[in-house]
Amino acid sequence: MIIFENISKVYKPDTVALKNVSFQIGISGNEFVSIVGKSGAGKTTLIKLLLREEEPTGGRIIYGGKNIAEIKNKELPLFRQKIGCVFQDYRLLPNKTVFENVAYAMEVMGATDYEILRDVPRLLEIVGLQDRARNFPLGLSGGEKQRTAIARALAIRPEVIIADEPTGNLDPYHTRDIINLLEKICELGTTVILSTHDKAIINSLEKRVVTLDNGELIRDEEKGRFIL
Amino acid sequence: MATVFVLIVTITLITSLFISEGAVKHIIAQIKEKIDISVYVKPETTSETMEKIKDKLVELPEVQAVSIVSKEDAMEQFRERHENDPVLLESLEIVGTNPFYASLNIRANDPEQYAAILEVLNNSSLDDIIYKVDYVEKKTVIEKLSGFISNVNTGGLLLALALGVVAVLVAFNTIRVAIYDASKEISIMRLVGAPNRFIRGPFIVQGMIAGAIAALASFLILLLLSYSLADKISSLTNGFNVFAWFGTRAFVLFFIQLASGIALGVISSLIAIRKYLTA
Repeated sequence: MIIFENISKVYKPDTVALKNVSFQIGISGNEFVSIVGKSGAGKTTLIKLLLREEEPTGGRIIYGGKNIAEIKNKELPLFRQKIGCVFQDYRLLPNKTVFENVAYAMEVMGATDYEILRDVPRLLEIVGLQDRARNFPLGLSGGEKQRTAIARALAIRPEVIIADEPTGNLDPYHTRDIINLLEKICELGTTVILSTHDKAIINSLEKRVVTLDNGELIRDEEKGRFIL
Repeated sequence: MATVFVLIVTITLITSLFISEGAVKHIIAQIKEKIDISVYVKPETTSETMEKIKDKLVELPEVQAVSIVSKEDAMEQFRERHENDPVLLESLEIVGTNPFYASLNIRANDPEQYAAILEVLNNSSLDDIIYKVDYVEKKTVIEKLSGFISNVNTGGLLLALALGVVAVLVAFNTIRVAIYDASKEISIMRLVGAPNRFIRGPFIVQGMIAGAIAALASFLILLLLSYSLADKISSLTNGFNVFAWFGTRAFVLFFIQLASGIALGVISSLIAIRKYLTA
């Protein structure tokens, strides 16, 4: 379970990004939660706090029963290995091929060469990139880059996948493609947290929606809709 | 590429300081060779007595060498020195006899030790043999040269230190910029959950490779330069053979260059990457 408990975040000098946000997300089942809101609503800040890229000004985030603020710096990589990340700007390593980008995530977890050679082709098959294994990110379309990022996120067998505006740079066809992929991953047993401001996606998903507005949680509903 | 280039410049500069030190030492040794004092002995002193004095002087720890110049040698040297001055040579003919004194030329290990040698001579029982010691005439020159040598040594050391520090800082800064360029990559690695050692690894290896390549390139550049500039440097430094100097120390120099290149690459990388690895 991930518990956001009265989370506040204020950036100096006085920009309030989040105000007393509280909600929970299950990580043992196959929950699909969309966090929606306009630009500047606090979605990305919430994700940064969950990844402990930043510290909350107030409140606490409990992950699997542990306050993540108490995780020691040296234990942070291990914590982050539980969470797969997909971002709008893909964040792929530019000097590594598609295969190597996915393999890198496995290497940091200590996977053997045998495991890497066995699993990476399977992952690339899941995201439909088996023919692009030797390509570098520069030679891929936006959709392909995002699918590589999803394959990399899956490679660490995460409990949760966070997708922060994963379709922000994609055309409608690739957008649907990526959302379908995330739904498939969720059905296979991984919790997916999708952050987006794409109304069409949210309304077509018919899944849980947490709505943020000006840093405040204004709605949290099962089979929610985009109301802003 | 920029990192390797700056490392080449840095290592070459630092090695050049070593070479310069060799050249300065050579010049100083040349100057020291030219400094001596002469102890003139009275005309009746026999060559056996002079040999005995020489043996005693050679035993002094301050003395590097003693040579005996007989009256005849002194006159011959005078003739050679003034062979283009017929008036002087003619006046020597007019005198008819050999007006020169035999002498013992003493060279100390260090110019500052002449005063101590003179002290020994004054306290010995050689008063009835010694006609004159020319230390007083040469004292000012000797002191000036001693001061010059000391200044060159101190100044050279300070200059080498300053240049060395500047070179190291430039190399460090270049590596820092290179790692700054990779900061986005580092943040991705961290997001994937890569432990710090995993992120550091490639940068350390890069630093090592850049340092080793730079050391090799610098060694070859200096070898080539010392070969092609050997004659010019020799004429500028009164006979310092830079190529021979380089040749006799090639292995040690290359080892120092390699070690300093790798150390510079690795340490700079470690320091520069540290700020991107704090959680």
